[in-house]
Amino acid sequence: MTYGTATAYSSTATGSATSHAPVVSFVNVSKHYGNLKAVDGLTLDLRQGETVALLGPNGAGKSTSLDMLLALRKPTSGKIEMFGSDPYHAVKSGRVGAMLQSGGLMPEVTVRELVTLVTTLQPKPEPVQTTFKRAGIAEFADQRVDRLSGGQTQRVRFALAICGKSELIVLDEPTTAMDVETRRLFWSSMKEEVAAGRTLLFATHYLEEADQAADRILVINRGRLLADGTPAEIKARAGAKRLSFKLDKLDEPFLLGLPGLVNLEVRHDFVQIQSMDSDATLYAVLDAGYRPTEIEVTSLGLEQAFLAITGEDDRANENEQAATATAGETI
Amino acid sequence: MAGTLALTRAELRRLFRNRRYFVFTVAFPVVLYLLIGKQVKGTAYGVQWGAYYMVAMATFGAFAGALTGNAQRISQEKKEGWIRQLRLTPLPANAYVIAKVLVSLVTTGTSIVIVLLLGHFYGGVHLPGWEWPAIGVTLWFGSTIFAALAVAVGYRFAPEQVQPVTLMLYFVFAILGGIWFPLNGVLGRIGQVTPTYEAIKIGTDVMGGASVPFGYPLGLVIWLGIFVGLATVAVRATAETV
Repeated sequence: MTYGTATAYSSTATGSATSHAPVVSFVNVSKHYGNLKAVDGLTLDLRQGETVALLGPNGAGKSTSLDMLLALRKPTSGKIEMFGSDPYHAVKSGRVGAMLQSGGLMPEVTVRELVTLVTTLQPKPEPVQTTFKRAGIAEFADQRVDRLSGGQTQRVRFALAICGKSELIVLDEPTTAMDVETRRLFWSSMKEEVAAGRTLLFATHYLEEADQAADRILVINRGRLLADGTPAEIKARAGAKRLSFKLDKLDEPFLLGLPGLVNLEVRHDFVQIQSMDSDATLYAVLDAGYRPTEIEVTSLGLEQAFLAITGEDDRANENEQAATATAGETI
Repeated sequence: MAGTLALTRAELRRLFRNRRYFVFTVAFPVVLYLLIGKQVKGTAYGVQWGAYYMVAMATFGAFAGALTGNAQRISQEKKEGWIRQLRLTPLPANAYVIAKVLVSLVTTGTSIVIVLLLGHFYGGVHLPGWEWPAIGVTLWFGSTIFAALAVAVGYRFAPEQVQPVTLMLYFVFAILGGIWFPLNGVLGRIGQVTPTYEAIKIGTDVMGGASVPFGYPLGLVIWLGIFVGLATVAVRATAETV
């Protein structure tokens, strides 16, 4: 049995409140396909120099959000601004470099020809050799684009995203199809880009990557922003610690009332609690006269935090739908 | 504009590299002319057969060269996401289509020039000097009609659908237009509204010294308008799925 408390994860501004206008702002942006709300009232700001991970399960609305940001799709409602302009003009001004999963390459040309072509389209081009080095594509620069492996293709796509001196880099699942070594190389070159003052927004479902690379994580599920904060804050918000123990006589209402509790799971005599304050939770159990056994307190990784946040949202949604269905029947 | 030209140059490089495509679209009318241009005696559309067949094959190059390969490539590149990737660059939104049309003008222009040269030196067609460029330019302009149609088909249909669709259009415009042989009777009358027929007829009327009825050039402009309209609708309709 699982209990979810109705905790609202409100979005908070992170970082210092600089005087800079946001690089990107979404104001109440929605994208509906018929009845499906792919993106549902998304509001967020990205500031200069941030490395932001857009984290969510498949179908959460990550790609749709990036598509709208890059002027590939139009929001059903709401407003998106980039560098104080609409997405289309921001993209055409060359201030954004982007790599999408769905982006393809021109066939029948070599990697060198393709990268050179896209570089010449940039208002502030990087030297082609620099791009080759950063993207790690120099050794197959003279191969034809349509004869590359999946990982090589992904690196060429990345090269096209960084071949101009753009201020914002947008990457959708950048390390898909990359092996471990390529992934490492990729993130080290990304860190250089960000160190140069660029802003980076990337969508991923690799939690480890978000945890290591991002200084801010946006958790989205079913088109809505559920959490916004540093990796540490996200972990804390989901209940920083997991407390588990065995207890003979269970009193579920009592357990649900424990201080710091975020989530409770009970299986027979086994109790598992996610808690914002595991000390206070445990003291309350002891103070009530219980003597639990096999007590264990563990820190939650980002993965558990993510699952806790999205899982709770999904349960809340199911309850909501059940309630709507019931209400529907009574009418 | 510089970006659009850079893209056009890259497209041309691809074209020359893909010899099978280039040779096939340029060489097919040439080979047909060599095989048939001098074999038939008599006249067609009021001029010698050799002269008619020269204009017909030049029209063939203009129309097939603009339609067949382009529609297939556009559809394929849309499916593979290259059009989408280009939209992420500072290149203006219409650059892709403009580059495709410019490249198709190179293919069709080459084809038209070769067939006209062949008509003169091999087919023995002798014309007053100004008639050559008049015929050539008319056909070259006519090829943009089919470049627009290729854009419409390429955007509208998936790669596996493009082949049957272009094949159908190809036969309709080639046969009804009187490209492979002049048509008479009911089919001939129906065919008179096709742009391929209008293009050939402008050519043969110029050569035959007859005045060109105003309806033919007007017809070409109307066809161009229709296909540009279809192409615009197709491009806009797929703006969110590209």
